[in-house]
Amino acid sequence: MTTLIEWVLVIAGQFLITIGVLCDLVASIAMLRFPNFYTRLHAATVGSIGGAFLPIIGVALVAAGSDFLGSYRWFLCGASLVIAFIELLLAGAGSHALARATHRARAAPTKPVIVDYLEEDRGKGEV
Amino acid sequence: MLRDLVFASLLVIIILALTYLTYSGGLGDLPPRDVRVIASNYLNLTYNQGITWLWAASPEAVTAIVWDYRGLDTLFETVVFYGAILAALTLFRSVSKVPEFVSSAGLSLVVKRVTAIVTLAILAVAASTALHGHLTPGGGFQGGAIASVAPLLLLVVFGKQFFIERRISYSKLLTIRNASLALLGFTSVALLILGFLTGFQAYIFQNQAKTVSTLSYPPYLLDVPLGGSLFFFNLFEFLAVASGFTLVFTILLSRDETLRKELEGEELGY
Repeated sequence: MTTLIEWVLVIAGQFLITIGVLCDLVASIAMLRFPNFYTRLHAATVGSIGGAFLPIIGVALVAAGSDFLGSYRWFLCGASLVIAFIELLLAGAGSHALARATHRARAAPTKPVIVDYLEEDRGKGEV
Repeated sequence: MLRDLVFASLLVIIILALTYLTYSGGLGDLPPRDVRVIASNYLNLTYNQGITWLWAASPEAVTAIVWDYRGLDTLFETVVFYGAILAALTLFRSVSKVPEFVSSAGLSLVVKRVTAIVTLAILAVAASTALHGHLTPGGGFQGGAIASVAPLLLLVVFGKQFFIERRISYSKLLTIRNASLALLGFTSVALLILGFLTGFQAYIFQNQAKTVSTLSYPPYLLDVPLGGSLFFFNLFEFLAVASGFTLVFTILLSRDETLRKELEGEELGY
């Protein structure tokens, strides 16, 4: 029998998956339209956090609310949460490392730019 | 444009011709659609508790085939892998002798902390892949390959100094690799040696007891299937592969000058 709580879990999960689809769509458009490497990296991270982390959390909620899966739903739910946690860590750290290395090596033009604190710090010899 | 078109149509014609030849039996008879006799034998016998004189005591049929039914083949594959790593180490043999004093601080704090967490997860996945190789898909080689990602990440993120400070040296890794390969070989002949000493008959690569030879590796550990020798093969293969890959990574991530000197050779050349 499906309880109210299970309905809420499934609907909340589906809502998160829908947000994930929209994030992926926005990220893929932004990847093509943004002007330089750093802004495109931002778009890629929108794709990996909004478009991968959120839907996996949604999958965990849907699995937790799916009565027909039996005891396997907790297995699916736990696995999804672990994957989401690792994704959350790696996506941020990965784009941070990419951006930092690119800026240090001056491998990509920063223009157009409004403010570049890292460049100013490097001018003062702090980085 | 015309050239691309000709090239593409040529490619399509070749693929179609090869498909036709293969399908019409040009490479010999096509495999039957039903399960073949040898496959069904493996599937029926691998974990058949009713026929324990032909079983491998492992629910994982692939591992049973790889390390029991055709174990000798896999041993030679391992030897090929051992030789490949040995060749790479020989080519760069002087690199390993150069003491490196790299003052690399590694990547930023964010990446270091995240890598520390993820490395633990990688090692856990690797250990479960290798040690459960006789129960679930996976095995020693796969587990070793996963585990070798962890030192690669640490080398890149924390710098080579991290390894030097923790005394994870070249010779220690080499010792682990050689010891685990020796133990791999010993596992394959352990029952034979036991048979010589006790006067029983035994085979090379024997896992479970056969009708003419009663010696056997333990099929169960408590109430969990152990797969007899499969567990030990997976464990030692895991150690050998992980340390072998780590050795190659440490060498390839040496300083550019050291590596280039080795590639250029001496003044007169080799």
